[in-house]
This record gives sequence, structure tokens and C-alpha cells, in this order.
Amino acid sequence: MKRFISSHRSRAALVHPGDSSHLGLVVRIMAALVRIRSVCCRGVSPLLFRSCSLIRPLAVQKKDRDCPYLISAKIHATPSSYAGSGSKAASLHWTGERILSIVLLGLAPVAYFYPVPAVDYSLAAALTLHGHWGLGQVVTDYVHGDFKIKMANAGLFLLSTVTFAGLCYFNYHDVGICKAVALLWSK
Amino acid sequence: MLLMTVARQGLCLSRSQFGVLYRHAVPMGTTAKEEMNKFWAKNTQLNRPVSPHVSIYKWSIPMMMSISHRGTGVALSSGISAFALAALVLPESYPYYLDLIHSMTFGPQFLAFSKFALAFPVAYHTFNGIRHLAWDLGKGFKIPEVYRSGYIVIALTVLTSIGLAAM
Repeated sequence: MKRFISSHRSRAALVHPGDSSHLGLVVRIMAALVRIRSVCCRGVSPLLFRSCSLIRPLAVQKKDRDCPYLISAKIHATPSSYAGSGSKAASLHWTGERILSIVLLGLAPVAYFYPVPAVDYSLAAALTLHGHWGLGQVVTDYVHGDFKIKMANAGLFLLSTVTFAGLCYFNYHDVGICKAVALLWSK
Repeated sequence: MLLMTVARQGLCLSRSQFGVLYRHAVPMGTTAKEEMNKFWAKNTQLNRPVSPHVSIYKWSIPMMMSISHRGTGVALSSGISAFALAALVLPESYPYYLDLIHSMTFGPQFLAFSKFALAFPVAYHTFNGIRHLAWDLGKGFKIPEVYRSGYIVIALTVLTSIGLAAM
């Protein structure tokens, strides 16, 4: 660590010739530590799919004329100024998942107090979709490789379709979800 | 002494350093999804072993609750799908099969226990789900808060399950 600081100080001295004070040393130590930390952050994070791993420090050899000891960072940016592949699909999906969760939360007391067919079908739809999106996240987390992902999602879609069909069939031809729970609990 | 300086000045200085780093930021040409796929493709192709993680890291309450949230979610989803499949495939009606089960019941304790067994994952997933929604609003991330909300979820789950099983 000491070796690193002394070489760092000699390099930085070219840019800030007056910085031999204690504070200057602290600033340069902090710059070094930030650099170390950002490199460490990059190494660990991709395994866990955290989005903070998107900052990548480039090698110090990069031609950076104005600040030789500061590094450029490549970032994922989708601001309006960056014309191109910025899509809001993932973000909207996330928001949709939360809204659906809240809707499902609200449906529970409604189902208890008003066990009518409208609630039966709403429950069928909300439960199926919530489960479909939830299992979709599980697939995203554990399944890797283009073909396997495609197959897993196709299987999931089939399962969810059959589930929804079965629940609607049950609502139409049998007692319905609300009544089924009530009957199950009555004994 | 170095460590003290680091600890004291770490937060504010690193943030200002970060602001300076941003001046040299360049947008990347790939999406996050593409990056992740590239990572997995490269590492599986090179047949690299995965470092031990869940097998060596000490399990904490938040970790256990998180995987339980996923576990109960998958279990409940599977249960609902199985129920829907049964509704499509089985010839008789629901009350018929319910009476069939009750005719071979092993006593009131069995009924109470099975109600508890059904209510528990629903209650846990619901209460922990609310905890997740609070996090999505940005609330409750401090470590003591995480543990406190976790214990509350567990307590509510047990109480609700007992209450529902008694109904």
C-alpha cells in the first residue's frame, strides 16, 4: 500500500505541484481507494446480477491528457440525449408487477365479503398473472443460455395458459374460487 | 491512523470523486441483458467452476426469509396450477371430492393441521410481499429495520395461520 501511494504521489505531483500537505495526501489516498473499490465492485457484482456493476474503470494507460490519475468510466446510460436502444419495457414490467401485487392484495378482503363471479374471475386472472410473472423471475435468475431460456419461458407460458383455463373452467362449471375456499374451510 | 482518515473522509470525498469520474463517462453500446448473457455464455463455454456461495456463507434471517418468499411463491403457484389441472381433468365436481376427502378424514386435528398447512404459506408470502412493497418504495433498508420487519412478518404469519386454522 505504501509503495502504491509513493508512486501515486510522484505521478500526481506533476499535476498538483503544490500538494505536499497532509490534506493533499489524504485526497490522493481517497482517489486510489475509490479506484480500488470500483474495480472490486465490478468483480463481484456480475455474479449476482446487480445493476451497480455497470460502471467500468478503464486502464490507467488510456490517453487522458487533462487528468492522468482520474479514470474514465463507461456507463449504461439511457437518457433522452442518447438516441438508440433505450427501451422502457423492463421498467414498465417491473411497475406492472408491483401494481398487480397491490391489486391482488386488495382482492383478498373483497373475495371474503363479496364472493361473486366477477371476483372469481378477477381472482383467477390476478393469481395466474402474478404467478406467471413470479415464475418468470425465477426462470430469469436460474436459467441461462438462449435456447434454454426460450424453452423455459415457453413451458411457463403453457403452464400459465392451462392454469388460467382451468380456473375459468372451474368458475364456470363448478362452484367458483370464493365458494371453494369457503367450502374447504367450513368442515 | 490511515484507516481512521479513510473512515472519516471516505463517504464525502468518494462522492465528490465519483462526480468527477462522471465527467469522463461514455455510454456503452450493449444492454444490461446482453452483458449478462455474454457473461454466462463465456463462463459456461470455458467450463469455469462457480465459487461456493450458499454452501459456505453463514445463513442469516434475511437470507432465509428471502428464499422462503420465493419457495412459498413457487409452492403456491404449483398448487394453483395443480388445482386448475385437476379441475380440467377430473370428472366429478368439487363438492364431491371434498366430501370424499372428509369421509376418509383422520380426525379434527388433521383438518385443523391441514388448514394451518394451507394458510401458512399464503400468510407468509402475503406479509413478506408487503415487506417487499415497502422496500420498493425505498423504505426500511437499514439493517436493524430489515431484521425488525422480518420478525414482524414471521410473528404475523404464525398468528394469522393459527387464527385461520381455528376458523
